[in-house]
Amino acid sequence: MIQDNELNALQRGYYYRDEISHVLPSRERLEKGRVAVIECIEEIPCNPCSVVCPTGAIFKADLCTPSIVEVDKCAGCTKCVAVCPGLAIFLQMIKGGKGYVTMPYELNPAPKVGDKAFMYDRSGKEVGIGNIVQPTYQDKGDSYPRWIVTVEMDNPDLSYEVRAIKIKRD
Amino acid sequence: MTDWRIYDHPIVEFDRGKEVTLYLDGKPIKAFDSETVAAALYASGLREFSKSIKYRRPRGFFCAIGRCSSCMMEVDGVPNVRTCVAPVKDGMKIRSQKTLARFLNPILNLMKLPPQKYMRMFTRPSIIYKPAMMVMRQLTGIGKPAEEIPENMEITPKSMELETEFLVIGGGPAGLMGALEAAKRGVNVTIVDDKDMLGGQLVKQTHTFFSDIKYAAGKRGFNLGKTMVEEIKEMNNVKILTNTTAVGYYPSENRVLLVGPEETSVKIKAEKYLIATGAYEKNLVFENNDLPGVYGAGGVQTLLNVYGIKPGNRGLIIGTGNVALMVAYHLIQAGIEVAGIVAPSRRRVKGYHVHAAKIKRHGVPIITRHTIKRALGTNFVKDAIIVGLDENYEEIEGSEKKIECDFICVGVGLSPAYDLVKLFNPEMKFIPNLGGFIPIRDKQYRFVENAYIAGDVSSIEEATTAMLEGSLAGLYATKALGKSDESIDAKIAEYSHALEEDRNSPFSTGLVKAMREVTVENILEVIQ
Repeated sequence: MIQDNELNALQRGYYYRDEISHVLPSRERLEKGRVAVIECIEEIPCNPCSVVCPTGAIFKADLCTPSIVEVDKCAGCTKCVAVCPGLAIFLQMIKGGKGYVTMPYELNPAPKVGDKAFMYDRSGKEVGIGNIVQPTYQDKGDSYPRWIVTVEMDNPDLSYEVRAIKIKRD
Repeated sequence: MTDWRIYDHPIVEFDRGKEVTLYLDGKPIKAFDSETVAAALYASGLREFSKSIKYRRPRGFFCAIGRCSSCMMEVDGVPNVRTCVAPVKDGMKIRSQKTLARFLNPILNLMKLPPQKYMRMFTRPSIIYKPAMMVMRQLTGIGKPAEEIPENMEITPKSMELETEFLVIGGGPAGLMGALEAAKRGVNVTIVDDKDMLGGQLVKQTHTFFSDIKYAAGKRGFNLGKTMVEEIKEMNNVKILTNTTAVGYYPSENRVLLVGPEETSVKIKAEKYLIATGAYEKNLVFENNDLPGVYGAGGVQTLLNVYGIKPGNRGLIIGTGNVALMVAYHLIQAGIEVAGIVAPSRRRVKGYHVHAAKIKRHGVPIITRHTIKRALGTNFVKDAIIVGLDENYEEIEGSEKKIECDFICVGVGLSPAYDLVKLFNPEMKFIPNLGGFIPIRDKQYRFVENAYIAGDVSSIEEATTAMLEGSLAGLYATKALGKSDESIDAKIAEYSHALEEDRNSPFSTGLVKAMREVTVENILEVIQ
């Protein structure tokens, strides 16, 4: 069987962290507050993120060029996370030594504050258990229904890895 | 009693309607009145719907949208009903058409007599024909002719003649947009669709769309469909004929023949036609690809997202185009395990990377450089064998692996449903990059003088581009009908520009090139 490291990102279906280091914000930026991370590198015809951004922080030259986040303008408002059809936008933050990742969530069960969740990296590997701190339910607008969930983790560096969750229920 | 229905879905609320009862060979089956017969039977655990005529192999359904005809059963005394498009009625009696063949199968196989052979043997002398036929129908499982006319059937089929300015055939994204744009400008429009609801395949797209936010992007497909259908239902110059199939076009009288509910036949004459009949799902050649449990990706989406029924507990997906990747995500959302996505291509995952990434992070294995070799199981799928491929796409010996699964979802692309198009006598070409046989058309989307084409039947693409194509075809037809308003040229320019932008990605390079090959300046010059 072929190992993932023998393949490139487009063959294996996900990026290694060092392959998308250019879209990941610096640690200093994360300590200043929430910021959008757009893991959408291909040229596909799509533009909702740049249109809904209230601060003009997402730049798109034309419909098919990949979006670029101007991290200094980003206010971390979650609007792009809520609208992205590719579920490819996340928010990251480091606060009080803890890491936070905000992501779209379209699965069952519905998240509640205080829930524990298994956290997975881009390859689907479990990397730890985090706390759900802020679930918001979107019930109007174009992409409704959709949850926007923030998960808190003890290791701030993990915020560069965690991209999916599964809520832990007994 | 087993029930495969999903009652808790993160995106869709299933409005199933009233609970009713069906009888399958006398056994009561729970059903809901918004379901089709096949959906209700599937939910109760039935997987084998019929037997193939020649070799009496088990048949389930494949497409779930009335195209593949492998789910035929006897419904209320009528044989060979496509159960996947037959709506449920309380107290319906359904009989499986496998009859005697089931018991005689081993003996017939020993005699090495395929049914077609003994069917011919008993046609002479004529006196034995009738009794022999009764036996033959029993053996082949093609249904028993009714002994009396079913009570609730109309004895004389009704017929009608209609006229309209613009006839739109196919109520999917392309057809609906074409009808809307024309109707807004005062054209009398009639829409025909063979399903009981408009919206085409949008009804099962629970994900959000890409493209420009001005048109469809960021919206969920089924919501988008709902809005369009609501808008069109409010227009009083639009006539909607659902459950109606366009079965033919007669060039000498310029009329389309429709068959509606209860066998009503309608002859309809229009000044302009828009053909937006969509596409068929392709299957892949592998051993046992006809077993119940091998479904088209669209068939799985229909079961899952329209009727809220689980296709199985653990599925294997073949193909890595956008549709296959999306289905994997839909399965995860419904809480169904995905055993893996088999990806034959060496170059890359074929669909958008973001689609692959979102299923990968939920732990779905993407098994690259492999393809399916065989489905296992006798009456329905129980596991599959996959095999590795070398750089020439030849099977690597000894690389077979067994994958545990109870259904297989084939998502290897679509092929245009051009049956009706051909009756207009166009110039057809086989263009693999556009999905198969398609007619030559001009820049106004005409493929003959009085007929337009849009959507998947003109080239296999996304729903978003189908909507733009449909809008454009509708506008050009409006112009040809002399109903232009001052906004029409600006609209045409706007949509054409949007289409161009949409196709400006590396994913569409082959498509754009192929499209140039089949698009001419003026279709009339080509056809003469």
